[in-house]
Amino acid sequence: MSLGAIALSQLLAKDNLLASTSGVGPIRPDIDDENPYAARNPHFEMPAKQVLVIYCPGAVSHVDTFDYKPDLYKLDGQKPPGIPQVTFEGPTGNIAKPFWDFKPRGESGKMVSDLLPNLAGMVDDFCFMHSLTTQTSAHPQGENFMNTGFTMEGFPSFGAWVTYALGCETDELPAFVAINDPRGLARSGKNNFGSGFLPAAFQGTDFTASNPPANLGRPNAYTSDADRASVSLLQRLNAKHLQQFPGDADLAARIASYELAGRMQTSVPDVMDIANEPAHVHKSYGTESGTELKKAYANNCILARRLLEKGVRVVQLFNGSDPAGGNGITNWDSHSEIEKTHAMQAEIMDQPTAALIADLKQRGMLEHTLVVWCTEFGRMPFLQANGTGRDHNPDAFTCFLAGAGVKKGFSYGESDEFGFKAAVNETSVYDFNATLLHLMGLNHERLTYYHNGLERRLTNVHGHVVKDVLA
Amino acid sequence: MIRQWLIFQFVAMVLVTSSEITLASEIDFENDVYPILEDNCLFCHGEDEQESGLRLDRRGYMLRGGDSGLAAVVPEHPEKSYLIDVINHVDEEMAMPPDEDKIADEDIDLITRWIQAGAVWPGQMDDIAEEEIDHWAFLPRQTEFDQDCIDDFLREKLAGAGVSFSDTADARSLIRRASIVLTGLAPTPERTTQFIEAFAEDRDAEERNAAYENLIEELLASPHFGERWAQHWLDVIRWAETNGSESNLYRKNAWMYRDYVVRSFNEDKPYDEFIREQLAGDVLGHGDATGFLVAGPHVPAATVGQEPTAIRQARADRMDEVLQTVGASMMGVTIGCARCHNHKFDPISIQDYYSMSAAFQDVEFGSRFPELADDHPRVLRSTQLRSHLDDQRQEMRSNGWAWVEDWTGYEEVHFPTQTIDEMRIVFNGRWVMLDEMEILEADGEHRNVLAPELGAVITDNPSTHVASQPTSNLNNGVFGTKGWRGVSKKGNKETPWLQFEFPKTVSVSSIRLSSNREDFLETDYLEGMNKSKYGDFNIEILDDDGQWRPFASTAAMRKKSTDIEQRQALQQKIQEVIGALIVEGPQPAFLAQFVEPVETFVLARGSPESPRDRVHAAAPNRLGGDLGIDPESPGALRRQAFADWLVSPENPLTARVMANRIWHHIFGSGIVPTPSDFGLAGAPPTHPELLDWLTGQFIESNWSMKSMVRMIVLSDAFKQSNAPNEAGLAKDATAQLLWRFPPRRVEAEVIRDSVLQASGRLDPTIGGPSYRIHNVKKRYAQWEVVDNHGDETWRRMLYQERMRRVDDRIFTAFDFPDCGQIRAKRPVSTTPLQALNLMNSDFVVNQATLLAERARSERGDAIDAQVIRCFELLLCRQPSQDELEASIEVAKTQSLELLCRTLINTNEFAFLP
Repeated sequence: MSLGAIALSQLLAKDNLLASTSGVGPIRPDIDDENPYAARNPHFEMPAKQVLVIYCPGAVSHVDTFDYKPDLYKLDGQKPPGIPQVTFEGPTGNIAKPFWDFKPRGESGKMVSDLLPNLAGMVDDFCFMHSLTTQTSAHPQGENFMNTGFTMEGFPSFGAWVTYALGCETDELPAFVAINDPRGLARSGKNNFGSGFLPAAFQGTDFTASNPPANLGRPNAYTSDADRASVSLLQRLNAKHLQQFPGDADLAARIASYELAGRMQTSVPDVMDIANEPAHVHKSYGTESGTELKKAYANNCILARRLLEKGVRVVQLFNGSDPAGGNGITNWDSHSEIEKTHAMQAEIMDQPTAALIADLKQRGMLEHTLVVWCTEFGRMPFLQANGTGRDHNPDAFTCFLAGAGVKKGFSYGESDEFGFKAAVNETSVYDFNATLLHLMGLNHERLTYYHNGLERRLTNVHGHVVKDVLA
Repeated sequence: MIRQWLIFQFVAMVLVTSSEITLASEIDFENDVYPILEDNCLFCHGEDEQESGLRLDRRGYMLRGGDSGLAAVVPEHPEKSYLIDVINHVDEEMAMPPDEDKIADEDIDLITRWIQAGAVWPGQMDDIAEEEIDHWAFLPRQTEFDQDCIDDFLREKLAGAGVSFSDTADARSLIRRASIVLTGLAPTPERTTQFIEAFAEDRDAEERNAAYENLIEELLASPHFGERWAQHWLDVIRWAETNGSESNLYRKNAWMYRDYVVRSFNEDKPYDEFIREQLAGDVLGHGDATGFLVAGPHVPAATVGQEPTAIRQARADRMDEVLQTVGASMMGVTIGCARCHNHKFDPISIQDYYSMSAAFQDVEFGSRFPELADDHPRVLRSTQLRSHLDDQRQEMRSNGWAWVEDWTGYEEVHFPTQTIDEMRIVFNGRWVMLDEMEILEADGEHRNVLAPELGAVITDNPSTHVASQPTSNLNNGVFGTKGWRGVSKKGNKETPWLQFEFPKTVSVSSIRLSSNREDFLETDYLEGMNKSKYGDFNIEILDDDGQWRPFASTAAMRKKSTDIEQRQALQQKIQEVIGALIVEGPQPAFLAQFVEPVETFVLARGSPESPRDRVHAAAPNRLGGDLGIDPESPGALRRQAFADWLVSPENPLTARVMANRIWHHIFGSGIVPTPSDFGLAGAPPTHPELLDWLTGQFIESNWSMKSMVRMIVLSDAFKQSNAPNEAGLAKDATAQLLWRFPPRRVEAEVIRDSVLQASGRLDPTIGGPSYRIHNVKKRYAQWEVVDNHGDETWRRMLYQERMRRVDDRIFTAFDFPDCGQIRAKRPVSTTPLQALNLMNSDFVVNQATLLAERARSERGDAIDAQVIRCFELLLCRQPSQDELEASIEVAKTQSLELLCRTLINTNEFAFLP
């Protein structure tokens, strides 16, 4: 334990909340206060050292993408018994067959629709989870649940938990970066990458390929000479002040944070400089073809890969925003004209995302990077009454994993014959998150933080690791 | 699970057995029933193992039930016995025995009949399972002590650890520390100098003490004291000015509650009164205090969805936020744990949780016009303005004119009195929407003749009728988007109309109507809010031939009010008075609504879909929670009774929790280091006797928070130096025993406010609407920072609009809470984003410029004098020789502005000395 580690560990000791040594209690990360981002050991060794979360706000229709349900063709236009009268947005209509054709893909022959042709071509690398269920039909609560483990406000995000536990492999970049959609933040805003009641140090820093972090750059008012003089004087004044408090970890940490900030001022613009990527990379990600939104998202995908290359622990990439964040469609929430709106959203997501995962694979990065593609819930196999879109479905949806530690070309769990409810191996969001933490070498029951009377966890008091998806 | 690593449990299960009465029964328990239990249940729910805290090997345990909080067996009531539910697999998720076949039907039948017959267990009919409380926080306070002042209690512990108090801090540190702790603002250089002189070491002790005491009295009397301590209280209850959730809408005038809190601390309102008012201010003449009840986040109806289960769940979630607020802030207990099952650590059962929710069952998230005393300035102003308005309306009427008044959230249409049996409104537009409409009588109280109890019949144009939004929505008292709608489809020559038939002839002279009055009452800063979605219309009455005849048109009224000079002037005056009334008169504010309380039930496993026994308003049973009120008492009475229970001197928690909170905010850590959790999962007190002594003092001082603060800051412990020493560091590195004053980084607010004070630009105005840094947004969009540094923002950060989970792009990075969860203590983290924000933000660059300007204007052209002034303004001290030289160098080669920016970033500026 370094000198700097004293402060936080003593703070915890002061609260009488130190980890037990019994083998079942919390495992407290050994946080160096001088550098809270220093890399820390996982609870147990797993292949994944980094994680990329591709989050698709709005709820992707599983029955139109990855969850093939032949019965929907038979029942198209009918309303079989068992369909509720009212779902989230109101009265229900009839079953609608998938809006895109399904075909067998890859060697595994996995049935995937034509909506996502590029991702479809990679199914042999993916591990699908088809029986996910959530607790809510509302987007913000659903986003909260998926990303923070609670439907309510104010809980730490998955990325914050991982950063709190593991720190980071780079000392030049933030440990956890959230790349928001070019159209803006998703509906739960900062919750999705916030630190909740964890120290602010573990929140995601948000920037995109076109928008640097707030206040990164030197103010126009000062020349670079002036800036250097200011930093140098600051160090001098702080060093003198520190003499009165020898060994004080909090003061030393603050001095160190200015040094890290200084490094970030160079390294962040460097990592954002995607113009220097070779032409073939731009072509494969699709930064120069298609809609403006797709180009911007493709740039974000390149940024994601560059951040992972530099050792950033968690990269959370958003493909969709709040409803008021852009023109026309803003996310996957296709309550009407799903054929048109899902296609618009897929055009943005498919090629760049597939290229990103392929790029990680080609560079060997999938060996130590976990890729998570997810959304907050699914969509209904039937339409809304007199409508052209599908309502929210909390009882069955699909996500997929890829990369370090997970099976390839595998599908886990099943929804029922309509994709209406999870049927085989129902997997809650708690189970999903427990599994993600496990894949990062973390025991979801022992990664805790005392807050307001409870040892809080990402998975509350629930969650079982889905062992079947582990490689 | 958490329980597994607890060393002990607070409850000791004691079985009390007494003499026997043998009851006759047809069922032979020993031979028929017990073997079924033995075969199926006792392996997990017996003497050796108690899964979910349940034992079925003694009758007493059966009656008590397990962690679920539901009785496993209720004699004579199999339908209320949870055991029967689980063996019948009523709920698939709670089906027993687990992973095995159901118990045979005949065995289930036998158990059911056994319960029906009284659950006779020979030899155990008088068993009761009792739980004894032995956790300190739930036991009465100690009242006899060996010591009688803070320092003596502390010294005893220090001596035990072989360390002692440090010397008194130097005068400069002391004034800076006391000022920041008490008011959140650094002292001015002038006041610092004055104090340093008065506290000089060569003066005698009496003089020095007097100087210090004067300083403390000055700070306690400062209006900034209330601002500082309000900030702490608002953190605890996660108060914010937005709802959170998807739309994260602004809560209209929610700041009125913030001002109530500031005022209460400044007036040194006794803490028991502070509690009573926050729980029941609506009946105590402090309507603005009830903002407390709705401090937490909530999901507004529009984003809950239409499924009835989701609507019930959302209401249960809102109730939970209310209980969490009360529990964490006033009781120091995590109530929420008992929502789904008995509290794992603390003596709060699931019945207690729902009994508490019965006490707050009339609380709903929303706005109301807060109750104000008759002599409240807003009430007086309103009377005055109303009288002006009446005069001007009279003048309009005397000319026989009709006119439209714009009340922002609604319109009023005034016209010459009509005595009628029917009336029609014919809209000019083809697509119209109204949420509520009132037709008002000409005389008396201007009664609304559309009030449902008066029986008017409202119909609409059948060709524009919208079935899902019928006319009955027009007078159901519900504002918002679910009102009445009329839609004239393509090809339809008619526009929507509404027809009113009154059961008795009425004399009416005005109509009040709106499209969405909810927005006006509840929110603000929303694009396109308060826009009429009904447009102009004609008012028609039946003529002698039975034909509808228009007698007034809003379009014509508007035109005449612009075209005719005299009328225009009068109309303008009317609008001016209305404008003043809306701002200066009573205003709706997000301070909670009160609804008719519904019956409250225990919700098994927290699910609104599983109601069990009905419960009545009470506090936790094992904490003496009987409120002594009629079960059918109105909501306000329940809340008052709950407040009485809280502030009763016998309540072991309330005063202790607050005394500890005050200590926590002064020393940076409480005597109980977990200020909102005094339960078993929290940390034990470092100085239990001191805490009880302080608590006694607190109650005896008539719950005076200022007295408490005064007593603590006058102690030697507070006045000590914060310098480290080897012995102290070795024995007690975090200074938990207080061998020195523990150093700590100041909060976001202190940094921002102190920069503004140093530059001389801090606007010290107390209270009022928050300063804005965000945009006016669309309903479903995120708030965006527009300007977080301009001169409109140069107020104390307490007044920055407090938006849930929105980053202000500067100070949020300094562990400013996101207001999603209770925040009894802020974590202190150090991040490079803080450094970037404090080096490069527009706020700092701008303030550095103003600071340099101030230093130059106060010290003239000499660079060294300017540099010294910058040190004084920001750090309240002179620079040392080497600091001065290095700083002059920077000021000369670069700029004085750059020096100021550098000083703002120093550790010295950011840490409490």
